[in-house]
Amino acid sequence: MVDVYDTNTIKSSALRYQWMHNKDWTQMGEEGDPPVIIEGNGMKVTDSDGKEWLDVSGGYYSIHIGYGRKELAYAAYEQLKQITFFPSGTTTPPVIELCEKLAELTPGDLSRSYLNSGGSEANEIALKITKAYHKRRGENGRYKFISRRGSYHGTTSSVMWLGESSSNYGLTDFEPAYPGMLHAPSPNSYRPEVRGETPSEIAVNSAKAIEDLILMHGPNTIAGVIGEAVAQPPGAVVPGDEYWPMVREICDRYGILLIADEIICGFGRTGTMFGMDNWNVVPDIMCVGKGITSSYLPLSATVVSDKIAEHFGGEGNTFNMAVTASGHPVSAAVALKNIEIIETEKLVQRSAENGTYFKNKLNELQQDHISIGDVRGIGMLLGIEFVKDRDTKEEFPLAVSDRLTQIFKENGMILVASKGIVTIAPPISITRDDIDEIVTKLDISIGSLERELGL
Amino acid sequence: MVGTIDTNALRKASLKHNWMHFRDWRQMAEEGDPLIMVDGKGMEVIDSDGNSWLDVNGGYLNVNVGYGRTEIADAVLEQMLKITFTPRGTTTPPIAALSQKLAEITPGDLERSWAVTGGSEANETAIKIAKAYHKRNGESGRYKIISRKGSYHGALGITTWLGGRDGRSDFEPPYPGVLYAPQPNPYRNEFNSEDPSEIAVKAAQAIEDLIVFNGPETVAAVIAEPLCADTPIDAASVPGPEYWPMLRQICDKYGVLLIDDEVICGFGRTGKWFGINHWGVVPDIMTVAKGVVSTYLPMAAAITSRRVADAFTGPGNIFPMTLTFGGHPVTAAAALANIKIIEDDGLVQNAERMGKYLLEQLKSLQIEHSIIGNARGLGLITALEIVKDRSTKERFPSEVGIEEMMAKKFAEHRLVLRPRGTIVIAPPLCVKRDEIDRIVNTVDIVLGEIELELGIK
Repeated sequence: MVDVYDTNTIKSSALRYQWMHNKDWTQMGEEGDPPVIIEGNGMKVTDSDGKEWLDVSGGYYSIHIGYGRKELAYAAYEQLKQITFFPSGTTTPPVIELCEKLAELTPGDLSRSYLNSGGSEANEIALKITKAYHKRRGENGRYKFISRRGSYHGTTSSVMWLGESSSNYGLTDFEPAYPGMLHAPSPNSYRPEVRGETPSEIAVNSAKAIEDLILMHGPNTIAGVIGEAVAQPPGAVVPGDEYWPMVREICDRYGILLIADEIICGFGRTGTMFGMDNWNVVPDIMCVGKGITSSYLPLSATVVSDKIAEHFGGEGNTFNMAVTASGHPVSAAVALKNIEIIETEKLVQRSAENGTYFKNKLNELQQDHISIGDVRGIGMLLGIEFVKDRDTKEEFPLAVSDRLTQIFKENGMILVASKGIVTIAPPISITRDDIDEIVTKLDISIGSLERELGL
Repeated sequence: MVGTIDTNALRKASLKHNWMHFRDWRQMAEEGDPLIMVDGKGMEVIDSDGNSWLDVNGGYLNVNVGYGRTEIADAVLEQMLKITFTPRGTTTPPIAALSQKLAEITPGDLERSWAVTGGSEANETAIKIAKAYHKRNGESGRYKIISRKGSYHGALGITTWLGGRDGRSDFEPPYPGVLYAPQPNPYRNEFNSEDPSEIAVKAAQAIEDLIVFNGPETVAAVIAEPLCADTPIDAASVPGPEYWPMLRQICDKYGVLLIDDEVICGFGRTGKWFGINHWGVVPDIMTVAKGVVSTYLPMAAAITSRRVADAFTGPGNIFPMTLTFGGHPVTAAAALANIKIIEDDGLVQNAERMGKYLLEQLKSLQIEHSIIGNARGLGLITALEIVKDRSTKERFPSEVGIEEMMAKKFAEHRLVLRPRGTIVIAPPLCVKRDEIDRIVNTVDIVLGEIELELGIK
């Protein structure tokens, strides 16, 4: 790095002019934040003062192949020297190749991709396609969507009402809610919302709760069910094996489309190419983002089955929606190179193998640390839930999460504890040495917290 | 590049796997579409068979500096070799620098940018900020958003329901709390008037009426483009000079935020940096996209005044929203390089000069062609409105398929121009006089042929 950065100038620009995600600029200023990141390699990033950080969150669970892969920079550059956009009504080679690649990678008859720039957009489009699909088939009454509590599907104004409870994401700021959003229980085995002792019982009863919701509202009012194969916000909740096959069957029974939000789970995050592959379930629509480019550039896609797409061909059936940057050739070129790396370096397999190794290490940590109530997850999407009391599963006050986040930071980790839950999702490319380094730092950090709390 | 591409295989794959905007894949298959573009320079693009096309509107009025600017490619490469994402709770040099640059070029006290990837997201963000702003000020009841019928502000959750006229029944139910006001369109309006000033005043008063009728304490914001840029009815219609100052005053009077959608009008498109600069008005929130990066990459932003942003600092006041690709360092680096080109090449001035010339040419076309009902515009947003009858302003019924006829004929002349309702001509800001001449001459020929075919003198 030959560049010299004036850290203070950049920081003061950021504090005055940049609106950062979920941050208070006054507080950041007082604490000497934000770090100015200038370089990255693998799971490590370096700030302008030369300090190295472990990005244990991997961006937002999104840097699958790790930082610093120059091949992606050159792929973008090559495309930028050819064509950088497309005149209205035309397309470009990398977009076509990517759509073809997605059809090949995704399971079953998922075949046609509407490309876009981010996960929220991909889910918004999935909802729009779902509603329009039912309309094309003469079922005008289907407009409601079922999501599961404890999920997250985006932040634009329809999708923000899916999933998570309002208190977690400050949704009260944005009332009124979009009509037709229904919420089913999360199939969370550690904190079940339904009756059941074992993961299987909880899975079955959680799926049945979806069916109950459908029957209560009337199947002819329900358009779709949307879910993440493994829900990230509650700390990588892996449902019992019965869950997804049952949900698939229920959707089929009532003519409801199943939308798999694979924005986090996709591209090897859970040890299979897509999260749903863990249960061999084929959704009607799949949404992908983040890992599709390892977030080197913004891209997402809504991939639909032939069964759905066929309703939008022919005169008068065209889908009425356009977003300028969707189908961007440069983002597509980067996605193709990223997917090539995931395939040639067998990163999906590595995610599965290292995920098992990592989870075992976390299970060992649990034995040493009484504050760890649960360790869960699959592949490189892992979660730790901290509790005040293991038997009662009583939660810590919110301030403890803030303190733990701070301790992580003091130990050089970019990692957030929220409501006692920590999601660990570093690049799926990381090595066992990297995992050991994270585990050591977690051990130290959790030890510090427990000492402070007198545990 | 051209020689190495198997066009047929790619086209087949596109028809099978690629869901393109507003295109019907069955029809495309019959017509040998889609075109596959492989190279571009200025306004010119090259398809995979080696044919050269003039992309009249530069994508969707977004390739403002033109195709093929290697400076942007270089800036992207340089940034991608450094850092390609902004980890949680950190920043990166390009996003900090871009945020500052936006504060410098936007008017008044607009100073803090929430960066996103597209215009729809920017408008979604602006509306969320507006609602949350009122909550922070203890005015929880303000949630309604006023937009103007026929406007376009995006295709996501609430933005789908702003403005617009038809084509949304697929997506019912509508988002709660969206109110619709009349357009200040001097050519077609709800006021039976042809006086732009009178129309402007009445259209602004209609917004005040809507606020009063609904109760000011329920209204969060008014959102509008400085002039409708690319919509079927109102494209390029310039409001009378009273409109924007009145809107600003009305919003202030009732504590309503004014959101200025500069997604198309911004970055020189209208001959000034921002469309609203024509009227000396400063909005509370401005949204930008397209021209901010000439869509070399996906980038956009919602830019707020200090007064608005200050409501979100201090304990418990944080704005609760995250977008993975918001504030992306690579897209920010591309935007900085793009803005530098606009400045260095004097593209704002060029847009003003070329816009005047273009409008003059279009107005002379109107004299020649009776199917041109109206020729209008500001800077490099211009439009020809095609009518069946000038005196009644009646449009051609859709059975005539006049839009398809035009698009086909333009394509025969190697122009990418697909009219929707009106013929919007909004070339990149780098457009040259001879390119305008080529566009205008082609429109002249095409309209002449159509008049002949339809038996219109």
